[in-house]
Amino acid sequence: MSFTLRSVKVPPNSVSLEEARHRVFDFFRAACRSIPTIMDIYNLQDVVAPSHLRSVVAAEIRKHSSVTNPKVIDMLLFKAMEELNNITEHAKQRHHIIGQYVVGREGLLQDTGTKDQGASDFLKEFYKTNYF
Amino acid sequence: MASLAQASTALSTSCKPTLQALSSRVSSLKSVSFSITGKRFPSLSSRPGRLQVSCSAKPETLNKVCDIVKKQLALPDTTAVTAGSKFTELGADSLDTVEIVMGLEEEFGISVEEDSAQTIATVQDAADLIEKLVEKKA
Repeated sequence: MSFTLRSVKVPPNSVSLEEARHRVFDFFRAACRSIPTIMDIYNLQDVVAPSHLRSVVAAEIRKHSSVTNPKVIDMLLFKAMEELNNITEHAKQRHHIIGQYVVGREGLLQDTGTKDQGASDFLKEFYKTNYF
Repeated sequence: MASLAQASTALSTSCKPTLQALSSRVSSLKSVSFSITGKRFPSLSSRPGRLQVSCSAKPETLNKVCDIVKKQLALPDTTAVTAGSKFTELGADSLDTVEIVMGLEEEFGISVEEDSAQTIATVQDAADLIEKLVEKKA
């Protein structure tokens, strides 16, 4: 099986933050360009729009926007490339994609209407993110 | 795809009448200097087969770019997105700029190279680059 369609080559560590930044943007462009293929593979045409997937990828990148160590950025990019490869070579399934990238955090909680009434604001923030 | 076809037909129909008028005038007068309203054709006398159009971005392209920018940055309709407004002024960081370029790529069906993407700073830059790529493609 061709499990390494886009071979995850490990380039030497980025020298500076600037180079790491370039790599992040290159990765983002590669991800955006493979979005049509992904929508084709998993039949997501009626479920989500490409712009939504783009913004989800951008949000994931922004989650770590405060990192300054180039090596950490390289590590995150490695994981991201691995995830992208897995998705594009159909190693995942449709419900994985929908659950992880199409449905946001609110989507999982929106069914719990009456249960959430008593929840405090602290809990609501807590469910959303680590940093508040 | 439909928008691309429309843009290419609009461009060709707007160029054709002036080209026909030009060729008739060149054959009758055999002179280089003629006044054309709007577009200039500097190299037409030397190479009649090749057409060089140097016009700024069309307003419909510009409008589409503005729409995409507004949607991407979630700006309310009150903020004025003009041709000269920079992306950083509108509150976009570098990742937003790349995302906008990707959105434009998808909308117009073009493929922007990386170094040309670096030079985009204002809405006008983006619209001009799109025009160039659309023409090259058509």
